[in-house]
Amino acid sequence: MDPMEVFKIEVTGSEDFGAKKYREIIMDILQDLGVIRSIGRLYVYVDISKPLFAVYGLLRTGIPALTVRDVGDVMQVSGGYQVKINDEEHMSDLLRALWEHYGRERVEQPARDIVIIASDTTPAEIMVTDLEAEFLQDMTDALVRVAPEGFRNRRNEMNKDSFFFIAAEEGLSPEVVSEVRAKIREMENA
Amino acid sequence: MLEPVMFTGGLYKHDLVIELVEDLGGYILQKNVTQTEIILLILIPSEDKPVLEALVSELRGELVRAPLAGTEVAVVTPTLAIHHLPHTACDIAEYLRRHGSKTNMLGLARGVGREIAQINEYETAFINEHDAAVFIFGNFQDCIRKKEGLYRNIGVPVVVTGGPQIAAADLPYAFDYVPSIGRVAHRSRKATEIGALDSIVESVGRALDRTREAIAKDPLTTSPPRVMDAVREQVPDVEYSYSPLPIALNLTGVRVKLPYDAYKEAVAAVTFDEGLKLGEIATILPSRMKDYILVRILPTSETGFVF
Repeated sequence: MDPMEVFKIEVTGSEDFGAKKYREIIMDILQDLGVIRSIGRLYVYVDISKPLFAVYGLLRTGIPALTVRDVGDVMQVSGGYQVKINDEEHMSDLLRALWEHYGRERVEQPARDIVIIASDTTPAEIMVTDLEAEFLQDMTDALVRVAPEGFRNRRNEMNKDSFFFIAAEEGLSPEVVSEVRAKIREMENA
Repeated sequence: MLEPVMFTGGLYKHDLVIELVEDLGGYILQKNVTQTEIILLILIPSEDKPVLEALVSELRGELVRAPLAGTEVAVVTPTLAIHHLPHTACDIAEYLRRHGSKTNMLGLARGVGREIAQINEYETAFINEHDAAVFIFGNFQDCIRKKEGLYRNIGVPVVVTGGPQIAAADLPYAFDYVPSIGRVAHRSRKATEIGALDSIVESVGRALDRTREAIAKDPLTTSPPRVMDAVREQVPDVEYSYSPLPIALNLTGVRVKLPYDAYKEAVAAVTFDEGLKLGEIATILPSRMKDYILVRILPTSETGFVF
């Protein structure tokens, strides 16, 4: 079963095998990079006679940024606040965010998973990492990997709720881009 | 006739196998030690195979036929990018190795795309140093047909692989076309995928047989394993080469992995029991692979004798 609500792929000419195989490749790559759960609908259009490759996707609702409260337990201790981190994966991001906010001299790490901040204000709401920006980076990486390799002229438009990616061997003229957009709109309405 | 076989077993007492092969007049082509395991690629006279089989079963080892032993195959991908590697290209290369061939993986500099795919003279010449080549293409018929230009000028047999079904006759410059193995983003593990790898091995085997038949019409002055043995004995520095296989066998000669300028005279001066020097019965050339030495044994029609 597809984890996406809609996943359509259309390839011009008699390239049914290519369409079937690219479906598998796209699923494999999106799964490998862990972005598949955030995509609601996906439309892929390949015109092998030009040749060009386009993907249009609708994203599921935005991911909130990760704050200090999300990555560890914040407690008030004598002389400031203590953060006990639960997931060490975020330690480097947490330290960077705290250094930026308080300055290095006020942030101390007495143990591997504990950070003590000499401050009167709680660090609970400081943003550790912007997951959405990370997701968009992973998504771009996935699209570059999915596109056939020689298609070096690329255009990628990404916003909070959708993305449109087009790659071709030859230059991308505005006419070609709008033609592909129309094709994808047709697929959406079909 | 010499038969190519592969011995897999424990390191303990493996020297008995080596001694037996040498006593029977066979050759050890390759020796790979992996901790306590050893893999030996062997050429053994067919009539003496039962003797070797008896020893191997006594040592609790395994002896299987390695039809591609003593050959070098190039596995060519349009580039070395993530689109082709590691899955398809490595699976094919590894599978060919399991059947005894020495496999070199090659990524072209500008092999990508449909209209823009190119191969240069150096790459063509380098692939021609092998006994056969496997070109790995993708999932679209149109692209596979258009990319014919990449292997049109290659002299050795080329096996093309790709996803869709295409009649081999539609690709006149290829020796064979093996479908169902186009671009994939996972390892080959299903029965159909392993089956496709088997067809590649079978195809490459047939391509090599065709070359062997062509060579048999005008036999080489001496056999490549014999040259390998003589070089190994008389140019001892070859054992200090960092390459895992210091002397690689081809159907028409050997590649000695030593610097050409420093060792070409030493290789040419290698003398056989009959009193002939290697330089008299073979051409010593610089290889396209690093600065190695390529030895191409001359056919009988040029030297006038066989030994």
